[in-house]
Amino acid sequence: MNPYSLPLAGVRVLDLTMVWAGPYGTRLLADLGAEVIKVEAARSWDMLRSVHLLGGETERWYDKAAFFHHNNRNKYACTIDLNTPQGKELALRLVSMSDIVIENYRADVLENLDLGYDALRAVKPDVILVSMPSHGKDGPQSHHLAYGSNVEQLAGVAAITGYADRGPHKSGISYGDPVAGATAAAMVIAALIHRRLTGQGQYVEVAQWEALISHVGEYIVAASMGHPGPAPSGNRHPSMAPHGVYPCEGDDAWVAIAVGTDAEFAALCGVIGWPDLARDERFADVVSRHRNQGELLDPISAWTRQRSHEQAASELQAAGIAAAPVLSIPQLMANEHLNQRGFWETVVHAVAGIWRMEGPLWRFEKTPASVRLPAPNFGEHNDYVFKGLLGLSGAEVEDLRASGVIADAPDLTLHA
Amino acid sequence: MADGPLNGYSALELCTSPGGAYCGKLLAMFGADVVKIELPGVGDPARGAGPFPEGLPDREKSALFLHLNTGKRSVTVDWRARTGARLALALAEYSDAVVCDLTPAEEQATGLTPETFARANPRATVTSLTAFGRSGPWKDWRWTNMTSFAAGGQHYLTGDPDREPLASGGLQAEYQAGLHAFGATLAGLYWTMRSEVGQGVEVAAMEAQAGTLEVALPDYAYRGADGLTKRRGNQQSALIGVYPAKDGHIGIHCMPKNWPQLMKAMDSEWMIDDERFRDTRARLQHGDEILARFFAWSATVTKREATRIAGETRAPISPVNSIEDLLADDHLRARAFFRDVEHPAAGRVTHPGPPARMSLTPASVAPAPLLGQHTVEVLSGTLGLSHAEITLLRQQGIV
Repeated sequence: MNPYSLPLAGVRVLDLTMVWAGPYGTRLLADLGAEVIKVEAARSWDMLRSVHLLGGETERWYDKAAFFHHNNRNKYACTIDLNTPQGKELALRLVSMSDIVIENYRADVLENLDLGYDALRAVKPDVILVSMPSHGKDGPQSHHLAYGSNVEQLAGVAAITGYADRGPHKSGISYGDPVAGATAAAMVIAALIHRRLTGQGQYVEVAQWEALISHVGEYIVAASMGHPGPAPSGNRHPSMAPHGVYPCEGDDAWVAIAVGTDAEFAALCGVIGWPDLARDERFADVVSRHRNQGELLDPISAWTRQRSHEQAASELQAAGIAAAPVLSIPQLMANEHLNQRGFWETVVHAVAGIWRMEGPLWRFEKTPASVRLPAPNFGEHNDYVFKGLLGLSGAEVEDLRASGVIADAPDLTLHA
Repeated sequence: MADGPLNGYSALELCTSPGGAYCGKLLAMFGADVVKIELPGVGDPARGAGPFPEGLPDREKSALFLHLNTGKRSVTVDWRARTGARLALALAEYSDAVVCDLTPAEEQATGLTPETFARANPRATVTSLTAFGRSGPWKDWRWTNMTSFAAGGQHYLTGDPDREPLASGGLQAEYQAGLHAFGATLAGLYWTMRSEVGQGVEVAAMEAQAGTLEVALPDYAYRGADGLTKRRGNQQSALIGVYPAKDGHIGIHCMPKNWPQLMKAMDSEWMIDDERFRDTRARLQHGDEILARFFAWSATVTKREATRIAGETRAPISPVNSIEDLLADDHLRARAFFRDVEHPAAGRVTHPGPPARMSLTPASVAPAPLLGQHTVEVLSGTLGLSHAEITLLRQQGIV
């Protein structure tokens, strides 16, 4: 193998994950060059294919859902009905030639399919199995369900998020999902490192709830010292002040400004044209400033309202103050900084068309990654997998198709 | 020593951001010998962040620092000075990975660039973790957690539609970036096992978020419509949100297949087959009626009751746990998730367990280091400096 091929070139991942957390994680692996083979079935296909907003009459909408495309690029897809004996046999044959198996079913599903770690190890002794149950595989709540927004509620993130005058607030995304996915991807690589050193595979459990608790870990430590968890405080910071978002020119446009030291505050006062404020005793030190930061809203806003959020951030940065525009999605996709970094890539898909998506997040200097392959159509690589990898004959594949073990189209009633 | 998968690996952490420290913490948890470089006398800014026991500031007892630095060794070196930078490069020679959060301008000013680290150790994975990345017009911008949250897109999407955007609590932009930097570092180490050379890898917090904006960004990118690009408050749709309960709040995240179980959980079986709620589209059309039902039901249950009912019916309902709820949670206790760790200055404190459980190579949680606790050990043990030389460096304020 070319030593300069992508970091995970030659690693095969049998990907049983669906929706967001798992596919986001396996996308990170696929971007790095792993051969990720996604397994779906006519009655068990990735729900993300149904999140398309194209109208139900659109032909083959399940191959056009952008949410699915962004999270499944660089992967292959086949179909296997794992509830049939033949399907199980096919899956185990694929396991025997894979390095990784990864799943984000509910905690009991894989074992109920007789495809638990012991069954996989019997056909592939050094297999690495990664499970991503929300609550973990054991414990009194292991049978509970939780999706991405539930996970941030369970983990304590929602409780510490919110406007100061209101209760807890959810994130704008299903935050538990990308965190669990990135954790699982890292764990796959950690297990690969151990396997390369020792020849041993292993079982890895990423309990999504537990994975996210590390992101509030300072409050866990603080609670054990006797401090209650923090109440939601909007955009404020426990020590920096002023710290918040300020309205800018345009509709729903904001700039985030974070001031720490007295020197930064003096610089801010200079930029906004109120140098006297820096000497005002209400704001003279960080404690006073923190206490009275509400009174800074008007003078700062009077300045920010007169410029775009990017312009405001640029002027503040030039004075040494941490600031950034609160970018909306259209603004992110038009952003000159990301454009100059080549972040957005054009993807061409035979059914879905041409558009732009985010490129790989981990940017290696010697092995740059890219969107090599658009996301697969439903069952697109059945021939590659069953004939190419497993060596089945055309007649055998037809038999499997006829008996419904493999499929070329999803049952559209599934996620209605 | 640790039994993690990275046992035998060493990493050098030259970071002052929480994200960089979190990346180093994960490397240490999973077995690497992580040497953290801190400024003499001052240390990592997280040492000043707190909260502190009894509220009394003490750089050895900051909860944020203790969390972000479990299992590392601390070496004080003033890397801003020429001699200090040379010591950092010398340490890189003995490190399989270097994690650094300097901006390109700071790299140039100190001479601590990925290129100089690579010259010092051609086998090292050199991970750069910043808000904006190492190129582009904003590459030298200053950042904090909130400004990264703003630039990356999650800020705009969080909060109520008629109010200002809301930053998530804590340091969520930093943690996400640190987690990605950890994965990228591992990928670099794995690549080096095959290629026998190292390489640089770059993670930008802004990009880590721009790739995680759920359906909103893909839908805009593909259709050009902005229907999903606005903040949608605490009820993202009728079926996904946070609702007030008797003693706090609960969350519901109903996917299409969960509708029957959810209606059973709420004693509303009649809604399962009602025409108005027949499928997802119908349910979204009648979202107000569903929201009314959710609010009415949530007000009748406590978080604990809701959790019990969720388990019995297998409905996607969760308690909005406070930090105190987590520490008392039966399930997490049964799984022995939290770890009590004895720290030489802070005493016994509780830490979250590792974010994943590996059957053969489990992660470990060891106490965070005191400031400069391992300076002499590392400078003499690793670099072979004599005690006289270390004293000289100390007199000049370098270590």
